[in-house]
Amino acid sequence: MNQLTSILEGFGRAMLLLIESGRHLGTLPRQRARFIEQCYLIGYTTLPIVAILCFFMGSVLALQSGYSMENFGAKQFIGSLVGLSFARELGPVIVAILVAGRVGSAITAELASMKVYQEIDALVTMNIPPARMLVLPRLAAVLVMMPVLTIIGILIGWFGGAVVCTYVDFISIEPEAYFAALRSFMQFKDVGTGILKAEIFGFVIVLICCSIGLNTRGGPREIGASVTKAVVASLISILVLDYFVTKALL
Amino acid sequence: MNTAQQSARVGLFFLLGLALTWVTWETLSDGKLFKKNGYSLIAGFENLKELKQGDEVRMAGVKIGAVEKTRLAGRRAEAVLRIDPNVRVASDATASIVMAGLIGTNYIGLDLGTPGAPVLTDGAELRTKVTPDLNAIMADLGNLGQKLDGALSSITNSLSGDSKNPGFFQKLDRLVADNSAKFDSTMTNLSAVTEKLNKGEGTLGRLINDPSIHDQLVATVVEIKGAAAEAKTFVANAQAIVDQVKTGKGTLGALIFDETTGNDIKVVAANLRDLSQKIAKGEGTLGKLLSDDSLYLGMQSTLKKADRAIDGLGDTGPITAVGVAAQVLF
Repeated sequence: MNQLTSILEGFGRAMLLLIESGRHLGTLPRQRARFIEQCYLIGYTTLPIVAILCFFMGSVLALQSGYSMENFGAKQFIGSLVGLSFARELGPVIVAILVAGRVGSAITAELASMKVYQEIDALVTMNIPPARMLVLPRLAAVLVMMPVLTIIGILIGWFGGAVVCTYVDFISIEPEAYFAALRSFMQFKDVGTGILKAEIFGFVIVLICCSIGLNTRGGPREIGASVTKAVVASLISILVLDYFVTKALL
Repeated sequence: MNTAQQSARVGLFFLLGLALTWVTWETLSDGKLFKKNGYSLIAGFENLKELKQGDEVRMAGVKIGAVEKTRLAGRRAEAVLRIDPNVRVASDATASIVMAGLIGTNYIGLDLGTPGAPVLTDGAELRTKVTPDLNAIMADLGNLGQKLDGALSSITNSLSGDSKNPGFFQKLDRLVADNSAKFDSTMTNLSAVTEKLNKGEGTLGRLINDPSIHDQLVATVVEIKGAAAEAKTFVANAQAIVDQVKTGKGTLGALIFDETTGNDIKVVAANLRDLSQKIAKGEGTLGKLLSDDSLYLGMQSTLKKADRAIDGLGDTGPITAVGVAAQVLF
């Protein structure tokens, strides 16, 4: 019962934080430097790990599907399978998990430290709302960077699948055939769906991480607990939201 | 890192994302975002089957456009086709929905139409024809299977029979049971025959087992070949003679083919006939010789006189035979 109350309390705090940030939306142009900095941290520095993970996820997906589909002579559809599954599902989820692990944890740790060491209180004392200065730039940055990370991740995943299809002996599909199959079963709507999902995931991750970070109480030990709590909550939220968003977008 | 560098990197990163999104859109949507090249044609069908927006339009197997959209128009379904601007579609070209794969990949296939036929313009309607889809083929296969099932049932019934009418196998079984003694006897005889053959007994056995018979057969065949060669030579010679006769060469040829010779023979025959007639009538010396006996009588008288004269010579002394003969005769 306490846990359920805690979850609902966290949900309510996140919503209040979102509303508070929305109230300061007009101040965003004046916070350009913070916005750029957060874009850099959330998007640019996350790109290498997104690229590596998506490449190998695409490769493994092509390898596994090639191994299975070879048995019933459907190898030529590997491109379609990899393309659709990466654009609609794997790409956004992988990018969201990486953002939660790399960016979300950093946000929570930073805000929790500021809270524990009373920097947040100092800001409030100076009449600087934390939602305006600390949350709004991050939310705006993640909204801008998630589509970029996702489209790059999807394309790299497709490329990884093409590399495996070309160079693995028992698959041996030309890249032209792979991408022709991918194109024949795909529309841009599929990629758009993936980008929209990633956008939602990213926004929720940053909101949860900011909320948990700003509501940390206690000493330095609580910082680590908050980070763990934020990452776990983000991952669970991603997977739960994934089902409902997918169902809504189908 | 200063703010300017950070801004530049973020800006580039964002532009990269935009560019990749644009490329993906262009690739997957056939460039429909910013341009709408070509002209549209309408193809109406009773059923568009699995055809969907973005599927290819091919003419003689070459991609010339894509399905722009599909829609219902009254009691039929229409596919609006976006055709490349440099491709001309003849007004009598026929469109059909072609299945490219078993799992639902389709495209619109166009034939080339007649050379010199008018060209379709934007918004024109294509001729279409219905092609059987996989479901129709499967339905036909199902019907065929039912017919095969019926035919096999009939065959099975005719072979197995029922309680009233015995089938083929029952009849065969009865035939074998009724004639088992004969079959046994036949098999015994066959066994004996084959045993004899194996031992080389009898004409056939020796023919099979004795190599000398083989040699004799070979020699006979050689002789027959020689005889055949001689017969061939003989026939060739006969043919040459016949050819010579046909050309009128030689006596026989002249006799058969030379008209002059024929006429001569006719004259000879006529002369012979006249001669025989005269002889029969007793005309001439030869006729009289044959038909008149006075010469015979005269000769007989003469011989008698000669006989007497010879006797007289014996009485009167030797005189020369020539002198006596001359006295008697002259």
